[in-house]
Amino acid sequence: MHPLTMMQLKIDDSILLKVEKPAKYTGNEWNMVKKHLNNIKVRFAFCFPDDYEIGMSHLGMKILYHILNKREEVYCERAFAPWVDMEQIMREKNMPLYTLETYTPLSEFDMVGFTLQYEMSYTNILNMLELGRIPVLSKDRTEGMPFVIAGGPCACNPEPLADFVDFFVIGEGEEVILEIVDEYISWKEAGESRAEFLKRVSKVEGVYVPSFYDISYNEDGTIKDIIPANSDVPGRIRRRIIKDLDSVDFPDNIIVPYIGTVHDRIMLEIFRGCVRGCRFCQAGFIYRPVRERSHEKLYEIAKASAQNTGYDEISMVSLSTSDYSSLPELCNNLIEFTEEEKISLSLPSLRVDNFSLGLMDKVSKVRKSGLTFAPEAGTQRLRDVINKGITNEDLVSSVKLAVSGGWNQVKLYFMLGLPTETMEDVEGISKLSINLIESCRDITKAHGKALNITLSTACFVPKPFTPFQWEPMEEMDSLMKKQYHLKDLIKKRTRNIKYNYHDARISLMEAVLARGDRRLGKVIYTAWSNGCKFDGWDEFFSFDKWMEAFNECGLDPKFYANRKREYSEILPWDHIDMGVSKEFLIRENQKAYEGDLTRNCAAGCSACGAQIYKTGICTKTRRGLVYGESTEV
Amino acid sequence: MAKALRFRFSRGQELKYIAHLDMLRVFERAIKRAKIPVAYTQGFNPRQKLVFGLPMSIGLTSESEYADIELVEDMQPEEFVTQINKGLPDGLKAEEAVSMNTRDNIMNQITAARYEIVFEVKEPRSRFEIDTIIYDLLSREEISVMKKSKKGPKPVNIRPSIYSMSAGKIDAGKFLMKAFLSAGAENNLRVDLLMQSFSQETNLEINIISMHRKALYASTYNEWKNPFEVAND
Repeated sequence: MHPLTMMQLKIDDSILLKVEKPAKYTGNEWNMVKKHLNNIKVRFAFCFPDDYEIGMSHLGMKILYHILNKREEVYCERAFAPWVDMEQIMREKNMPLYTLETYTPLSEFDMVGFTLQYEMSYTNILNMLELGRIPVLSKDRTEGMPFVIAGGPCACNPEPLADFVDFFVIGEGEEVILEIVDEYISWKEAGESRAEFLKRVSKVEGVYVPSFYDISYNEDGTIKDIIPANSDVPGRIRRRIIKDLDSVDFPDNIIVPYIGTVHDRIMLEIFRGCVRGCRFCQAGFIYRPVRERSHEKLYEIAKASAQNTGYDEISMVSLSTSDYSSLPELCNNLIEFTEEEKISLSLPSLRVDNFSLGLMDKVSKVRKSGLTFAPEAGTQRLRDVINKGITNEDLVSSVKLAVSGGWNQVKLYFMLGLPTETMEDVEGISKLSINLIESCRDITKAHGKALNITLSTACFVPKPFTPFQWEPMEEMDSLMKKQYHLKDLIKKRTRNIKYNYHDARISLMEAVLARGDRRLGKVIYTAWSNGCKFDGWDEFFSFDKWMEAFNECGLDPKFYANRKREYSEILPWDHIDMGVSKEFLIRENQKAYEGDLTRNCAAGCSACGAQIYKTGICTKTRRGLVYGESTEV
Repeated sequence: MAKALRFRFSRGQELKYIAHLDMLRVFERAIKRAKIPVAYTQGFNPRQKLVFGLPMSIGLTSESEYADIELVEDMQPEEFVTQINKGLPDGLKAEEAVSMNTRDNIMNQITAARYEIVFEVKEPRSRFEIDTIIYDLLSREEISVMKKSKKGPKPVNIRPSIYSMSAGKIDAGKFLMKAFLSAGAENNLRVDLLMQSFSQETNLEINIISMHRKALYASTYNEWKNPFEVAND
């Protein structure tokens, strides 16, 4: 039966016309994969634990959907967290959560995989499992039920989700997901038990089966030991990476949603990893080493994608666009065809210190998008602490350049609560912003319009596998004080500066979950049972419910978020090997307190540990920076 | 051969769940995929020169929508239809096209629309009862509904926008309403608003099963015309 006919049978207009944006629930988008179920050996439900509009913007899902569906005997389908209006109807009508490809309930799949992009989506995982008629706790799943798996950046500390997920995939998924699928097919053919499959899969490099590890605790609540259940199980799980990006498939026929999504465009992943070791940034450490896709390959992907999707925008994706070594070649090639086809080209995360005027000019021929700079801290001292190699002068000159190029809207991102931060650093943020407006006044006078700044501050959340993984998160009261103080400082400038700040309470919960241990499973379960979901959304987040959950479970959020940890403490994620060594992170932590900078990987090796992968930048002869030498140490 | 075309298209069940702006985007992408030599506006934010006759609200299907498109190369109308259909998803289909040479665009020319609405009534009613209800409603000089405006909701008399309205029985409890309504840039009555008001004003509890647009019209000198007929006016 054609999926659409099934849909008409199951979900009629009396439901769809009552919810906002019903096209989130109907599937059948352009390029959606359709397969005959009779030839399928593995049915995989790729679940994104947030709204469709967020999930459909996620590149990782597009990649794995493509990789899995290229295998004839595998069918990967998609499911998203239904928005609250839809969920209510689903619960009233006793409708299970289904995939958009075939309207099949999650419970009927072989594997149900969640991507962990953000700690605050954890309760949505529980909610989707329940809606999909799958027991929420791993231990309650029996023969014939799907295996619940999870991967993505937050899987680098999988412990808080250990009660719910049968196994985790650590690292990049393109190769390991197919190894898991193969293991599944042979396991099914062998007719073995559920426990046998977990044993089989635990031998696949990069797979972590939490039930095979026992955790013991000291009296003070810290971890005493992490013990593998038997000798067959690896003591440490090493993160998987793709050695050569050109060797793995990248989707050029992505699904084109019918409704607008957050990143509704072609995403061109130019490289993985980041040469800069900004000490707060988890992404800067867990994706090492830097590996690039060739510009020839990228050009092919871009052209084919444009033809296959009809999108009118292509955006480069990476952690720092300007660090891509063949950026001029890539841009030249892309600009030629995008101009002709009226496609706009965006180059996000261009760094302030090596922003190139020529590049900016070329891109602006097509379309001008907003500009974002992330100085992260307001003073040079603090920027040195976090190893963000930007000076005030860099910033001023880049913004001036941008303003003379025609931009008059600039977004600035900062963090509050960084280690060693004082009120002086907070005041630095306002000084820096005002200084930017003043410095550009000569140029803006000609346009008659002063520079407009949107200033955003996030609360610093210490993350695993960063040099700040031992640091306490700043207390909430103190963070709020800083937010109000900053607000006060720019009060008179509200015409030109718009200030946004993150809810410190959400950040606190993020901090707890990011560095939590598996005892938090109880808290997540309780919070969800009490109604928590979409916790990353201000309108749904309930701090009180989370605090109640902690109370009920007899755990203290401050133990996880606001406690300074010793280097010697066993951390909940110590059995996960992301490639960077603890020794390196300790060195970086110590250098932070001395305000000592660490050179980036392009300038020289700092022995972070990622050399074990023997690929990417670790194997390149060192070259100087391609653009601008201003940050060199 | 023509550099500007007017085409008629239909929208089926599959694509009825999207709003007007989303559908515009679906067309823009389809046009790119189909490699139609569409003309673009000038400037930093070039848009395709594509104009739709009348927006479609979520839930509405149609067999007769119209749009104007400007091209940079001559194209036969038949070729255009074949070509664009290669880029359109299930649920949207170009049906026919004519060359166009009018300074007015379709959006300004549309003045009326014909609809068919299938609805259920909660309590059983005879065809005669429904007829009477409609007759009484149409006998009024004023039917006030709250319409969204820039300054918030304000009452609008929709009676003059209803040209005709009648209902036939399909089976027990189910009726087919046919409505001919004013439409277009100047005075547009949305069919969902009509049905909402129909239910409210007559205290008839109804459940709408489907809403379908049968036809769009342009008018000249008080004569209803197929939009193709005025493509060269």
